[in-house]
Amino acid sequence: MKVGAFYNPHLGRELAQANGIDHLAMADPPRADDPWWPKIKARYTLLLHDYLGQLSEPLDERSIQRARSLAELYHTPWVAEHFQCLHTEDGAFNLNYVFPPLYTEDFLARFVANANALKARLDQPLVMENIPGFFDVRHSQMAEPVWLRRFFEATQVGFLLDLPHVWLEAHYRGLQPDAWLAEFPLEHVVELHVAGVTEDPDLHGPWIAPAEPSDEMLAFAARAVTRCPRAQAVTFDAFSPGLTADVLLKSVGRIRAALS
Amino acid sequence: MSDRALQDLVIRALADAPFRQSPGWRQRALADADRVEQFARFLARHYYFERIVHFFKYSAALSGVTGRRPEAVLGQPPFDALRPALVLGSRDSARAVAALVVAHVKSGRPSAPIPYHADLLRYEESMMVVEAGPRVWRETGSGERGAEAAPETVEGTALLDLAYDLPVVLPKLLRPWTTVPEAPPQAVRLIIARSRYGRVAVAKATDAIVSIMELADGRKTLEDLAREAGLRPAELQATLQGLTELGAVRFSTGS
Repeated sequence: MKVGAFYNPHLGRELAQANGIDHLAMADPPRADDPWWPKIKARYTLLLHDYLGQLSEPLDERSIQRARSLAELYHTPWVAEHFQCLHTEDGAFNLNYVFPPLYTEDFLARFVANANALKARLDQPLVMENIPGFFDVRHSQMAEPVWLRRFFEATQVGFLLDLPHVWLEAHYRGLQPDAWLAEFPLEHVVELHVAGVTEDPDLHGPWIAPAEPSDEMLAFAARAVTRCPRAQAVTFDAFSPGLTADVLLKSVGRIRAALS
Repeated sequence: MSDRALQDLVIRALADAPFRQSPGWRQRALADADRVEQFARFLARHYYFERIVHFFKYSAALSGVTGRRPEAVLGQPPFDALRPALVLGSRDSARAVAALVVAHVKSGRPSAPIPYHADLLRYEESMMVVEAGPRVWRETGSGERGAEAAPETVEGTALLDLAYDLPVVLPKLLRPWTTVPEAPPQAVRLIIARSRYGRVAVAKATDAIVSIMELADGRKTLEDLAREAGLRPAELQATLQGLTELGAVRFSTGS
């Protein structure tokens, strides 16, 4: 199992020299003035994990060409997107943060059609990442894991399983994380994300943060990996100007130890 | 109402605090109101954190001298007081939050003189305000313009008069330094604009740029503009091309 992290440009120096990191996920294109980018590109397997577009609508040609161009630049083994719908159709409102769609038949049909269209235009496999809901919208017609299972069966794209997202949903629903995880279509998982959570002052509870994963999260990850027969990589999911090299390197090391 | 329209309502409720308080949203009872409010507060802090870190990065680089981190404002009562009126992405909200940051950074007592500090804060504030507003997420047309198209200055584009040549010092601030980098005390006028896709860009404004910015109202033809601005056709075309690429001018095709 490959273990990696996100490329954080402010940690370019440390990442260019680090040991024990198999891959780096790219959330943003490299800046033209990033002095570490050539070394990073030469040294690591890079995973395209940028914002390509929300698949509630078809991606336009400009977005598809951008995705293709980044995939080629990184030589990425797969292209990742999220199950998100974060801006209104007219562009007037934008949350600037991942936010899930309604789990309805209509949105399922939209995501299936648009993911299939995107998949057909890429030279690499597409993987899709689950997004946590902090609250349920009463209009939804099915549970998230059911919606995801139907999506993956209809598209045959890969599943990027974000474990802290599952853990958080279980927390806010008062469920055991392992029991909630068992509902998800784990047979489609290609990559897993592991991250730290900390208490958020606005949510009055835990949320994703650029912090080390707890022992509980690492144990959860170790159990989850055994249930994902096609998984190839685990990535420490932290991309923030507040992330320190110490936290990143320790987290990758602890994930590797937890999985060994 | 379609599922997509309902999703848009939920997104608007999370982004638009006054809408969240309106009967139009509350009576729908689509989700637990407390949870929605908590998540909206989380999103607002995240939204402005990202923008403050990006647009006030030069002030952050000077925080060792000023004693003020720009993003600290998000944990202070004045930001909490703004929350009931915040609309993520609106220019008014961006202006209000940016003003809080400026006031917070100005309240420090720099341990060394920063002669261009006031200019720098105006520059950063302008960048954050110009970035606000609806943006194009996906193209639906060809994007081509007709022969009769008339240039129009894009709303929100800003001209900024500064006493110091800030573009000289900005890159130096982001590199390691021990004494505060200096900016030449030379007046400059900058144009700050945003592309349709949300990218903010800055350029030094020439007299030709300023003339076109003032005259381009979506009705005047290229001939009108050339005559009134006193520009030769080639000069007008070159300036318009630069302004269009910057996002400061677009071509209106009329009604």
